[in-house]
Amino acid sequence: MGALGHYLEAEGIPTTQISLIREHTETIQPPRALWVPFALGRPLGRPNDPAFQTRVIQAALALLETEKGPVLADFPDEAPDGSEPAEAEMDLPACPVSFARPDGQKTETEQLLEAFRQELADCRSWYDMAAEQRGFSSVAYFTPDASFQVFHDFLLDKPIPLDDNIASTALALRLAAQDLKAAYFESVMVRPDITLPDDTAFNRWFWQKTAAGEVLRAVRDKCRAADDAALKLNGDLLLVPMDQASA
Amino acid sequence: MARLTTLPEPMHSHLADLPCPTFDTRPWVTGPPLSRRRVAIISTAGLHRREDRPFEGMTGDYRVIPRTCTAKDLVMTHISTNFDRTGFVQDWNVVFPLDRLHELAAGQTIGSVAQFHYSFMGAADPGAMEQAAGRLAGLLKGDAVDAALLVPV
Repeated sequence: MGALGHYLEAEGIPTTQISLIREHTETIQPPRALWVPFALGRPLGRPNDPAFQTRVIQAALALLETEKGPVLADFPDEAPDGSEPAEAEMDLPACPVSFARPDGQKTETEQLLEAFRQELADCRSWYDMAAEQRGFSSVAYFTPDASFQVFHDFLLDKPIPLDDNIASTALALRLAAQDLKAAYFESVMVRPDITLPDDTAFNRWFWQKTAAGEVLRAVRDKCRAADDAALKLNGDLLLVPMDQASA
Repeated sequence: MARLTTLPEPMHSHLADLPCPTFDTRPWVTGPPLSRRRVAIISTAGLHRREDRPFEGMTGDYRVIPRTCTAKDLVMTHISTNFDRTGFVQDWNVVFPLDRLHELAAGQTIGSVAQFHYSFMGAADPGAMEQAAGRLAGLLKGDAVDAALLVPV
């Protein structure tokens, strides 16, 4: 981000920016930057808090009227409650994946996919309701059913349908994984039996308690073993977060 | 929070070890008072219109986001799995504060909102963004933008 500020300013465009990693900004020294003590992914601080977001954006824009630079200012306040990690476990129903079922006809992968299918059926009504309430979904390309099909086909060595926008299996898997997580979070947003979790609690639940998380780890492992470089990159970095990689 | 010293491993080492470019020059461009400036948002969150191409690879390309875009029109395909996306799912303004910018223009805190805004995918090599930034500067000038608000993710 800081380099972009430098490039644009050198081309004659006045810039100001928000900084999330102060140490990076200290090194790059862009013309104007406001460091904020917020979580990665939340540069304006807190969702659905217009007054707080306005304070942040005004503080960043005010740097345009400083007389000389580079200038790196600090935003004085933490984000209000709700954007900081919570240590409490998220009280959500888990869908345990058991490989001990007396069904000798199914492989472990098939049993995992069946657990995933059942979990999605439970999630789907809440996901649909969230989309109906908001008038849209943050899911970009793959509905939950379409995500299921992508992972099902990949794990069972079947070809994944591609198109002009999504022209490789690696890209399809990455986008389907992102969309699946968004769909699970949207389904949680409207459930009456829980308080909306913060990112830390949601991730712990998704990656450690759901069949979806287990399916994505299986996809990650298969990607790592592939010959294709893009699939390997998926497996190494782009499907499972660093802090959940060994869980 | 994003204080580097408090981030747990392996994120701490990953971010601490990221190479950051340094520059010999210190460009500095002035402009009119904020109340007369035309502001564009430049995001690195890997955002684009729903019907646009997803971000892929580290090529330093960008997507165009028109001023008329609303929350339902914008999606995120940044390649990283290591930042919070639940805030964006709840409220796009926590990443792309276009609604806040419209409010500031209506209140005459800023002069106006640019016709077009832009998003890169921040995991790209900064050097790969340099040529794109040159083209972007021409587009911003054509839109009479004299304030670019750069927002990371």
